[in-house]
Amino acid sequence: MKISIIKPGMLSTVQDLGRYRYLSQAVPVSGAMDQLAHRLANKAVGNDDGLATIEFSYAEASFKAETDVLAAYSGDGAFLVFNDELMPAEKPLFFRAGSIVKFIANPVGVWTYLAVAGGWNVPDVMESKSTYLTAGFGGLSGRALRKGDVLMNNQSVSQVSEQIFDQLIKKGIIYPNWRISRESLLPQDRQTVRVVLGNEINWFDATSIISFLTKNYSIDRRSNRMGYHLSGTPLVRKVKKELLSTAVTPGVIQVTGSGDLVVLMADCQTTGGYPRIAHIAAVDLPSCAQLKPGDVIRFSEISADEAEELYFEREHDLSLITTAISLKYIKI
Amino acid sequence: MIRFLDMAEQRAYFSTDYPVNIYALSEQSVTVEFGTLISEELLSLITGFNQFLLQNPFPGLITTVPAYASLAIFFDPLIVAASDLPGKFCYDKVAQYLKNIGQTKRAESHLATDRVVIPVCYGGDFGPDILTVAKTNKLTIDEVIEIHASGLYTVFMIGFVPGFAYMGGMDTHLTTPRKAVPDAKIPAGAVGIAGKQTGIYPMETPGGWQIIGRTPLKMFDVGRPQPSLLKGGDQVTFKPIAKDEFNMMLQNEYENQHY
Repeated sequence: MKISIIKPGMLSTVQDLGRYRYLSQAVPVSGAMDQLAHRLANKAVGNDDGLATIEFSYAEASFKAETDVLAAYSGDGAFLVFNDELMPAEKPLFFRAGSIVKFIANPVGVWTYLAVAGGWNVPDVMESKSTYLTAGFGGLSGRALRKGDVLMNNQSVSQVSEQIFDQLIKKGIIYPNWRISRESLLPQDRQTVRVVLGNEINWFDATSIISFLTKNYSIDRRSNRMGYHLSGTPLVRKVKKELLSTAVTPGVIQVTGSGDLVVLMADCQTTGGYPRIAHIAAVDLPSCAQLKPGDVIRFSEISADEAEELYFEREHDLSLITTAISLKYIKI
Repeated sequence: MIRFLDMAEQRAYFSTDYPVNIYALSEQSVTVEFGTLISEELLSLITGFNQFLLQNPFPGLITTVPAYASLAIFFDPLIVAASDLPGKFCYDKVAQYLKNIGQTKRAESHLATDRVVIPVCYGGDFGPDILTVAKTNKLTIDEVIEIHASGLYTVFMIGFVPGFAYMGGMDTHLTTPRKAVPDAKIPAGAVGIAGKQTGIYPMETPGGWQIIGRTPLKMFDVGRPQPSLLKGGDQVTFKPIAKDEFNMMLQNEYENQHY
């Protein structure tokens, strides 16, 4: 399977679930900003969650299927349109060779993931296909996609992918009638993000901690794959000492010298020297990543134990989705 | 460093010398904080504990991130939860495991620290800020080079960008504050000074360090088994080279590309 990029959109890169084993050499995790959408797009074509997808930001992109292609998409940045028809998300989509697929704006969010059966085939760099633009490695030649780029899948696809592909061809349809319910995995209120208080919480005065947990903040324009800067009531520190640089990870919320909040994202540095007021619960990080500049964000406190329970519930729900899709296609 | 190890021969990794604070960094990581000051003693303690943990991993351990005074441990919660480590939550299981192995007596001689020589072409176009360093410290440019190249440096941690080594042990006669306004572009290989530390930019990035020279070596190369040339605990010396030698070495580095 092969596609060519007609319009790359604002920032489109190949991503997977990230690169963890080189953190001690200051290689960031990278990977999909919205890992939930990335995983659901993969599941919808019968892939393992970790295979590479293309991460598109906002709309304005389009591609041509150079061969027959089994793909799926998920996320909040765009809707896929083919032949003037809106393509449903979180469903396998069969595009005949020659099909031209366009992205149109979805006002909800930023990132959209395009998965292909077998995963996009780019070389592994340090055990991952994720693109890290700052250092120019990973993904397609370490850079964002350009007009004319050609991407192919891995030839070895799963048995489920094969079955989906065969059935869609046999029936002569673009997509089946089932779909994954992404909504059921998203929080009711996308703008309220659950957090676990951080190790330096007591460096802030009580009023600031209350502000953090009650006031509205908004996503600032200085936001990118490294981090989301927030604007709103600045926090005041009562402990003025310096934090020695120590490991940080996506989801950690740092407070800068001027009292501003920065939510670290996929491409964040591996270490940081700003006090950490909290970290975002892993289950809420995907929907948080979809917030756009100008969007309101609020924080609600949960315990570390609750965050872990939510994590396991989410993983359980995701494994049920995989099982359900397999059972549709693989006869035991 | 050797002196400290002799003295602490019988001490455990976790001891009252450096009371540890263990906290959850995320659902998939915990941090062990050993202290709040930079010292070579602490570095050798953390390097030793890190090596011991990596040789004796718990089920689900993915990787570790040593820093000045802490060690972060990343793990797969699904594997940790399924393991028979005692505790209800992953954090408890991992923290308890760390506390247990922290009671191990520190070995005297297993620290794997390498000594690395970094050739540097000082001054000129490669060291636009060497005069600032000289003036700040009332030295000549030659004296700056002489002092910088005669020191033995210790890599405290790798951070900022892939392969960037924060090194301590610089002669305090070279101490120079970082720039008030960072440069938009510092080239790969630039050797800089910030406060009491020295470091090398592995790739072109913005940065605020005072640049005194450039190395032809690739500080980070994804084609190597260990992409970062330096790692925490390494000992580093600098060797002054002339520009033609720099050019020759640069050519060699890039002809032997591993890509």
